[in-house]
Amino acid sequence: MLSLTPMPTELVSYYNDSEDTRHFCFRLLDPEAIKKTQPGQFFMLHIPGIGAAPFTFTTPPDSRGVFYALIKSVGKVTRALFNQQAGTTLGVRGPFGTGWPIKTLAGQRILIVAGGCGIAPLVNLTETLLQQNSYQSLALLYGAGSQKTEMLKAQRLRWQQQMPMYTVLEAPGQSELTGTPVDVLDTVLGQLGEFPTALLLCGPEIMMQKMAVKFIDKGLAESSIWLSIERRMHCAVGLCGHCYLHHSYGCADGPTYQWDHYQRLSAGDTDPGLVIPSQI
Amino acid sequence: MQSYQLETTQTLQYHLADHYQIYQRVDLQNGDSHWQSMESPQPVTPLQKLPISSPKQFFFSERENLFSFDGECFRETVPEPEPFVLFGVQSCDLTAIAYQDQFFAEDPYYQARRKQALLVGFDCLTPCEYGFCHTVNAGPGVNPDCADIILHRQPGGDWLVLVSSLKGKQALRGLNLPAADSQALVGRDQQVKNCIEQFEQDPSLAQGIDQLSNETIDNDFWQQLGLQCLSCSGCTTLCPTCSCYGTRDFVDDTGQHQERFWDSCLYESFQREASQHNPSEEAGARLKRFWTHKFSQQTVKAFGRHGCVGCGRCEQTCPGVVGVHSTMKRIVAYQAESAPC
Ligand SMILES: Cc1cc2nc3c(=O)[nH]c(=O)nc-3n(C[C@H](O)[C@H](O)[C@H](O)COP(=O)(O)OP(=O)(O)OC[C@H]3O[C@@H](n4cnc5c(N)ncnc54)[C@H](O)[C@@H]3O)c2cc1C
Ligand code: SF4
Ligand code: FES
Repeated sequence: MLSLTPMPTELVSYYNDSEDTRHFCFRLLDPEAIKKTQPGQFFMLHIPGIGAAPFTFTTPPDSRGVFYALIKSVGKVTRALFNQQAGTTLGVRGPFGTGWPIKTLAGQRILIVAGGCGIAPLVNLTETLLQQNSYQSLALLYGAGSQKTEMLKAQRLRWQQQMPMYTVLEAPGQSELTGTPVDVLDTVLGQLGEFPTALLLCGPEIMMQKMAVKFIDKGLAESSIWLSIERRMHCAVGLCGHCYLHHSYGCADGPTYQWDHYQRLSAGDTDPGLVIPSQI
Repeated sequence: MQSYQLETTQTLQYHLADHYQIYQRVDLQNGDSHWQSMESPQPVTPLQKLPISSPKQFFFSERENLFSFDGECFRETVPEPEPFVLFGVQSCDLTAIAYQDQFFAEDPYYQARRKQALLVGFDCLTPCEYGFCHTVNAGPGVNPDCADIILHRQPGGDWLVLVSSLKGKQALRGLNLPAADSQALVGRDQQVKNCIEQFEQDPSLAQGIDQLSNETIDNDFWQQLGLQCLSCSGCTTLCPTCSCYGTRDFVDDTGQHQERFWDSCLYESFQREASQHNPSEEAGARLKRFWTHKFSQQTVKAFGRHGCVGCGRCEQTCPGVVGVHSTMKRIVAYQAESAPC
């Protein structure tokens, strides 16, 4: 039988990481409660009496049950979280969903593209890849609105020592590259030299769509692109129905999808908001 | 399957009442009927009209607490109901319960109620107004896999009792009923067959279902259909197989709690995210999902059957014209119109 009841978890500490975003440290009171996670998997955070929402582990639970998440304040649950004091007991359920295809990425030329808070599900992946060092090459293209909303500066500085890193900001004059990741893709590819063999995406769905289509046009196989999607989630175990993507449940079959699979699923849904590749 | 003869259902009802809380269908003056807990069992009346609410809420509660928090610990609030019997459920609703048994197989709240329930099914002998159970293999005779005991009214007014599960067998213990002869079973098959023949023929149902399972219907159709969906949730609330739910946290004197409640994938805000991105903003997209989910090949693969049991409640309740019969007719007409000459 599955459980929909959270496990008590302490909010240990946090620090501000750009405007409206904080990096939180949590501790499972029972360190055994979550044993193994894959990069890209998520948990449900419960603020008792307020609500619950899905967030990705930026660092998965260690042997003491300590883990981290990068969280942006956008609505009811996240605002309530930002009002909690260190030491408060909250609830956590997880881990849920499918992670990034770590094994498949071995030996590949990997490009990670993240937009805004979409970098959260890619943090643990980047750290894991750097640690395993089994790729041929690894680069990150990160897009944000402005210097104020750029996240993970400290981590990115550290990563920069080990891999090519491109930051593009929409606000003019605040970075070397201006615009969105899609706008600057050709420049970045020119600087990278070798064309990637694997593309990993997380950010606004429209950005991921455009990016994937550009790469497919340039010859990257659809099956070499993965994305992590956002969907509204209540149960995270395939019951409540909220996270559906045609016949698939984002909480269980996703949030990580191979592009061709995602494409088939979203073509099954009539959604004028989603741009079908042929229309871009 | 063991089979017995029974003169009056009350003999069985009183026997079961010793061990179970009895729920049965009670007729209302307006011709409708609803499920009600009985102090003392009442004679069973032939089904005139399907009860507008299915017994879904007995297992998947319309609203229920999931857990409570006392400031330190979270406590799962699984219900602990006394054993109960649903006496006289028709085949479509029993098929829906069997479907939800699979869907909620790992859900502790659903299963806590379900394991306490004894299901006594009734064969339908006349078609109901909106029903098409035989088209989707859900009736009118009760499928033995979906009930513990099946009751079949014989032409003379006596009842044939079929015992279709171990639980059913145990429930009958101590009630010495005479065995039925093989003719009674033949008679049952014949009566069920007669009932099937009385259903109004509507070829658009089977054709529409085909088109839906092959997912050959284009988006323009759904956009048009969407114009007539009021997103009122009448169909999803009454549908015995619909299972979407939302959650809500609240605080009272005893602590902090989370409850779940029936939600509807046809509501505009069902998938809206904090960023306001809404993958199913259009009513047409939501209807497409609703109907393809009921009839897709994926559903058949996962559950061994369609997600619709042919009760027709969505048609009965829809204030627009997007219930099952209307939708199927429109699918067939649309596909005929757009087919190449
Ligand atoms: C798999 C996954 C991983 C995520 N990881 C992160 C992360 O690491 N960091 C981060 O800042 N954000 C992440 N998000 C987005 C985050 O879940 C939403 O920002 C959050 O749900 C907003 O809740 P709210 O109550 O503050 O907003 P409100 O708009 O007030 O939302 C109310 C309720 O709607 C639901 N809801 C609204 N938007 C979403 C949404 N986008 N996804 C799921 N449920 C939603 C929730 O149940 C929420 O309680 C992730 C989303 C998903 C699906
Ligand atoms: S879809 Fe309509 S006809 Fe089918 S089971 Fe649900 S309410 Fe009944
Ligand atoms: S979040 Fe409930 S089904 Fe995926």
